[in-house]
Amino acid sequence: MDFFVNWVSVVPQFAVPFALATLGLIICERSGVLNLGAEGFMLVGAMIGAGATLVTGSPHLSLVLAALSAGTLSLLFGFLVITLRVNQVISGLTMVFFAQGFTTLVSTKMNWTNKAFEGIGKIDFGPLADIPLVGRLLFDQDIVVYITILIFIVVAFAFERTEQGLRIRAVGENPEAADAAGVSVVMNRYFAVFIGCMLVGLAGAYMSVVVSKIWVDGMSGGRGWIAIALVIFARWRFWPALAGAALFGCVEALIPRIAAVGLQVPQYFVLMLPYVATLTVMVWASLGKNSSGAPGALGKPFVREERN
Amino acid sequence: MPPTSVVGQLDPAVKNTAGFVLELRNIVKTFGTFTALDDVNFNLKRGEVHALLGENGAGKSTLMNIVCGLYAADSGERLHEGEPVWISNPREAHALGIGMVHQHYKLVKPFSALENIQLENGSGPYRTSLNRIRQKATEISKIIGFEVDLDLPVEQLSISEQQRVEILKILTADARIIILDEPTAVLTDMEAENMFTAMRSLAATGCSVVFVTHKLREAFSFADRITVMRGGKTINTVLPNQLDVTELTTLIVGETVVESVNRSKNIGDPKITLNEISMKRNNGVNAITDLSFQVRSGEIYGIAGIGGNGQNELVAILSGLRKIDTGSIELNDVGRVENATPIELRDLGIVCIHSDRETYGLAYGLNIAENFSISGVLAGEFGSYIKVKHKLIHEATELAIEAYDVRGVRTLNQKAGLLSGGNAQKLVIAREFSREPSIVVAHSPCRGLDVRASSAVHEYLLKARDRGGAVVLISEDLDEILLMSDRIGVMSGGAIVAEFDAPANRNEIGKSMTGHG
Amino acid sequence: MVESTVKNQRNLFQRFNLEVRDHMLAWQQAVLIFGGLLLGLFLSALMLVVAGVGVSDLLNEFIISIFTSSRNINAVLLLSAPLVIVGLSAAIGFKARFWNIGIEGQVIFGAIGATLIANYDIGPDGFRVLLMGLVAALFGMAWIALPMVLRLKLQVNEIISTLLLNYIAFNFLLHLLFGSWKDPITSFPNSKIYDQFERLPKLAGLDFNVSILLALALVIIFVWVLAVSRFGFVLKFVYSNSKMAKSIGINVGVLVACAALASGALSGIAGFTISASIDSRLTQSFFVGYGFLGILIGFLARNNPLLVVLFSVMMAILMVAGQTLQVFYQIPFSMIQLIQATIVICVAASEFFIHHRIRLVK
Repeated sequence: MDFFVNWVSVVPQFAVPFALATLGLIICERSGVLNLGAEGFMLVGAMIGAGATLVTGSPHLSLVLAALSAGTLSLLFGFLVITLRVNQVISGLTMVFFAQGFTTLVSTKMNWTNKAFEGIGKIDFGPLADIPLVGRLLFDQDIVVYITILIFIVVAFAFERTEQGLRIRAVGENPEAADAAGVSVVMNRYFAVFIGCMLVGLAGAYMSVVVSKIWVDGMSGGRGWIAIALVIFARWRFWPALAGAALFGCVEALIPRIAAVGLQVPQYFVLMLPYVATLTVMVWASLGKNSSGAPGALGKPFVREERN
Repeated sequence: MPPTSVVGQLDPAVKNTAGFVLELRNIVKTFGTFTALDDVNFNLKRGEVHALLGENGAGKSTLMNIVCGLYAADSGERLHEGEPVWISNPREAHALGIGMVHQHYKLVKPFSALENIQLENGSGPYRTSLNRIRQKATEISKIIGFEVDLDLPVEQLSISEQQRVEILKILTADARIIILDEPTAVLTDMEAENMFTAMRSLAATGCSVVFVTHKLREAFSFADRITVMRGGKTINTVLPNQLDVTELTTLIVGETVVESVNRSKNIGDPKITLNEISMKRNNGVNAITDLSFQVRSGEIYGIAGIGGNGQNELVAILSGLRKIDTGSIELNDVGRVENATPIELRDLGIVCIHSDRETYGLAYGLNIAENFSISGVLAGEFGSYIKVKHKLIHEATELAIEAYDVRGVRTLNQKAGLLSGGNAQKLVIAREFSREPSIVVAHSPCRGLDVRASSAVHEYLLKARDRGGAVVLISEDLDEILLMSDRIGVMSGGAIVAEFDAPANRNEIGKSMTGHG
Repeated sequence: MVESTVKNQRNLFQRFNLEVRDHMLAWQQAVLIFGGLLLGLFLSALMLVVAGVGVSDLLNEFIISIFTSSRNINAVLLLSAPLVIVGLSAAIGFKARFWNIGIEGQVIFGAIGATLIANYDIGPDGFRVLLMGLVAALFGMAWIALPMVLRLKLQVNEIISTLLLNYIAFNFLLHLLFGSWKDPITSFPNSKIYDQFERLPKLAGLDFNVSILLALALVIIFVWVLAVSRFGFVLKFVYSNSKMAKSIGINVGVLVACAALASGALSGIAGFTISASIDSRLTQSFFVGYGFLGILIGFLARNNPLLVVLFSVMMAILMVAGQTLQVFYQIPFSMIQLIQATIVICVAASEFFIHHRIRLVK
């Protein structure tokens, strides 16, 4: 029982990076932009988050700065795929490659690598955390966990219940129709990519600033890719994405615990677990309903004057 | 200023305006090396229904796309109520009260009708705006007699309902200049008439309506004035009672091409029999339900019907791309073939000319020689697995484009996508007929083609028939069916609901199209 | 026309209209791509100068010292060979619209296969290298088989599935290197060193490693398969319009499967090449960067095998020069990665002008 409580109570901090990254990617992709650069934007967020904490001393401000820097980099990505209509797969991969080089270079030059810092701690709810079973899960978390839930609510509301959400959805489903209705495809896609990548960057920053409290080269460790798979698993919807993130939080939280309980599984096979789980989840998603739920114009660049 | 309803109110000052609400002068538009519009002039009066008439490829849609801000003209002037204007995007057109219903509807399919209307018109707080628009759209639809469920996703609406959503969309945006691109292409005669009645009532309130069409009959029956376009130029603007049909045809085509009926004299034994075939779509709904028909050698079997009644699926089945769930397909000297693959069916002499040439007919990104020779390459006619003989391919392609009169070929290495619609279709036919097929399935083979290309395509179908082949001609164009067929089946709800021997009565066929399902 | 009479004014931005170009002459395309390349190199040079490398040193390290030292030329060729092979691997995948992002995983498995043969001394010594290469190809194919089947049978996106398998392959590699394949002599986490006859030899009398010839042979086979054979002819249709290909009777699934397996095999061979010509053993990080670089080279070369060679050599030069920079100028090697990404971005951006034109409208 203790094993279970201990396990579940750390799930949120493993789930938050997945949740934020997946949410960010859904925003991008619902506008029609396939973002394979997630891993790169996470790295940038994580590196800037750690660096800014070391420089400014304020981890909270650093989270914001990290999100903004990922957003800034996303403008380059947006310029490639939205304005220049470069292949979105290649552009995304290039962004990952670029970000890997960039983060390693900057952090080495600035001497930020492998330097531990204070980070953000958990909120003290006092006795509430002692409630049996769920006390620690609900009341022994850091502030970002709660903010994440809030962000989900805000984004879901904005998508379904506001003009801007309607426009982004329209641009992702049928840019020709949106364009004919006077909605700017380019501006809305830039907007979605910017906001989405900010969230992906925030996911990365959470990992360095809140969870590990240190920056290590390549520390996102494939979570960006898993988030891309989670988008497919969630069929581009918000709440299933949160559930998927929680699921993967469970899987990741399990890894250090497997050895602890004395299960004799080779270490590196345990480390494969998230990737195997992702693959399984993708297969499972493909077995489901007929329609994948993908936005109609996902991955397709738009130009108004294409002659048919 | 509160938004004024389009319908019912007429500004008294407007009546006195003698000028045009819209005037286009010397518009030029090129796509790459192709000149789509060459010094075009057009004008529109207040309160009129104006037909923009011309063949496919005459430049009508391009011109209207310039008016609604989707295309930018290379040069020329646009005057709105006598004043020069720029229209560089749809939003600006919208602000000038110009709304266009495109031939391929610009609707976001998973959105509800209301959301689609909101997308164009939304302003202010979302909920309030949505309610205001619902109210306005409902009001307008009552006045012009449209009934549409505003809350259903558009993809669940019928094609004519989708058109109504499009019209409501631009009317809710207070459009005073309403452009309809080929509005009747997917409507039954009855629906078309209702639509035009609604447009007429709009015109009576001071709106101006332009409809783009290639059908003479429509222009004569529903327009106040007709502007004729040909080859990217405006030829003339006339009143319907000024000219008779022949004169107008000459204006449109530049010469008279009259196709004459030519019934088969040599109908033989059954070639292919479809026996109560059924097929479900991916979503579990039947696309084809107990469909049966038989085609004999030396016969053209025309299948009439509104699009979306299972025609695409039928062609997919006959080309081996989809498998049926129940029933059988028999060739008279081969036996049952319902499980055959596309390549097996081709080897049995069944070829398909798909309506969507860009998707199924040609690889637009590849060159003419490759597109022509692919079926031969697969059959081993041009070299072995180890080496494809490009020289043989070029020779054969040269011969074929000569024989099938494919024009606009500068070099055989030119991309097929650069051919005009008619020439691309001739290339498809050249490939498909290169092995003298015994059964030809042609789905809207003349869609998007001009009159001369259409009649050439019809020639080839007749030749295939006269060689003793069986031809299945599926078309939404009733005129084409009546002209070509020796026997006519009417398709509705995924089945053949009636059959007629030629010559058949147009009205009765029309009735059976809608009477069922 | 006098603009002041116009009711709604246009801004300058609206005077430009973006159009899609139908085609462009080959030499014009080449000029544009080359321009993009130059821009990329210029930006890279700028970054290096900012990082503290003098302009004259730049010229020296990247051009003069590379081409004047036979040691450096050899190093470039040694690195180019696997890059060419992964470039071809990516290119054949692209040709079938199968995104093989899992090149690294297949490189790892290819090398594991080769090392398996070497470690357990399977087969006669004389044919050992050949057998290692073949097994590497098979292992590479095996590693792409799952994503290929999932894509063809269940429409599982191969971009993600191949990529995930990279991580699984990497962990499996660590499992071997920290476990049973640990070097028995040093106990370091790398496999025991290959015997002399298990390595790709240097050419008799010359200083070159034979690996570059292997790569060029694969280039020739690639050209034959795609430009001469029926497979290549038909594959063009799968690439250009798969629906049309199906309806004309092409078995699209089989073709895609073949191309994917070929891609996996090539990556496997690349893994073998790296460990048999560069490292002479299996190491923890021998594969790093080859996956992305392969894809980027395949993309830059627009799947043209000759351009694959060109861009591979260019990337190899960057990497060799980067090692010098690291030693003498304390520039982290990641700078090279940044430079490579920058070049790709610039060339990709230049393609925009091949497919579009911007025109002033009156």
